[in-house]
Amino acid sequence: MEESVKSCQEELSALKKEYEDFVYIVSHDIKTPMRAISNITTWIEDDLGSDVNPDILNNFALLKNRVGRLEKMLNALLELSRINRTEMELYEVNFPKLVEECIASLDYEQNVKFQVEYHLDNESCTTVGKKLNKVIFNILDNAVRFHDKEIKNIYVDVSENESEYEIKISDDGPGIAEELKDKIFAIFYTVNSKDVFDSTGAGLTISSKIVEYVGGKIQYTPGRDKGSIFQINWPKIISLKN
Amino acid sequence: MIQKLVNILLVEDDEVDVMNVKRAFSKNNIKNELFVAGNGVEALDMLRTSIVPVPRIIILDINMPKMNGIEFLKHLRDDETLKNISVFVMTTSNEDSDKINAYNLNVAGYILKPLSFEKFITSVATLKNFWSLCEM
Repeated sequence: MEESVKSCQEELSALKKEYEDFVYIVSHDIKTPMRAISNITTWIEDDLGSDVNPDILNNFALLKNRVGRLEKMLNALLELSRINRTEMELYEVNFPKLVEECIASLDYEQNVKFQVEYHLDNESCTTVGKKLNKVIFNILDNAVRFHDKEIKNIYVDVSENESEYEIKISDDGPGIAEELKDKIFAIFYTVNSKDVFDSTGAGLTISSKIVEYVGGKIQYTPGRDKGSIFQINWPKIISLKN
Repeated sequence: MIQKLVNILLVEDDEVDVMNVKRAFSKNNIKNELFVAGNGVEALDMLRTSIVPVPRIIILDINMPKMNGIEFLKHLRDDETLKNISVFVMTTSNEDSDKINAYNLNVAGYILKPLSFEKFITSVATLKNFWSLCEM
């Protein structure tokens, strides 16, 4: 019995090692030729000089854009595979400050209006702050980027119960079609063509994996008049799953 | 007073990356002499036999065959005659372990190789600003 436990542990260690090696190979060995493609493209473009057929220039731009996309996908895969290894520090987080920071990091214009409400007894908590920041940022970022109206309203509501915080992020944007709502958390899935919106399609996957990892829940529901509602249930006591 | 240009030793195994540095030198109008070693063993040899004359600065990749960048740094810092050379790591590795190991071995900077050549030109220009100070 003891021997079989030992053998299982050894097998687990070997698998973990294999996984880590794989991640490292993806991060370094694939990035090198990918960067080479991007660099050589720029050199050729440069060497051709200024008198070049616009079609050729357009193709160069497409080529560079697609390599850029590949890099983003690769970085997203790496991020996803390292969720339980990085930025795991527990520290005191002030909710209004954290939401404010997320909003400040977004790329948005004057026509985006944020309305934030807190229903909290205590606005501070000890949690994996960077992870929480990442989740809230990703959902806010989607709400801004995929919004289709001239004036974009985004609502954040943070409340609590005995065991968890409930963070509701909603918007009055286009919403997500009923038949697509199960796909949005899948890696690299984008509702629109990647040519229409330059999006990697990894933000929600990473967010849901983080929430799952801390023992919480994330769900999407359609808003009453279109729009989206993302509800995050974030536990007050973090139990990290290995 | 005549300025003495710093000699640059690039320790890099990837041909495209070597060409990248050469191009970036030319784009930034950098006149310093550039020496290239394909791995740590070759680099140590070039430094010890003074193929790369003083003053010298090293631009170092991490992942290389035979002797990688971190192993090379350990040898360099253990060598009385070479231990004071400024080293800049230039790598695709975003691994915390590589960064910590490199800084523990007193590197002057840790630069992630950017995807675009335009950004790479800027990174090399920043490096040039640093070693220009050494040339004063």
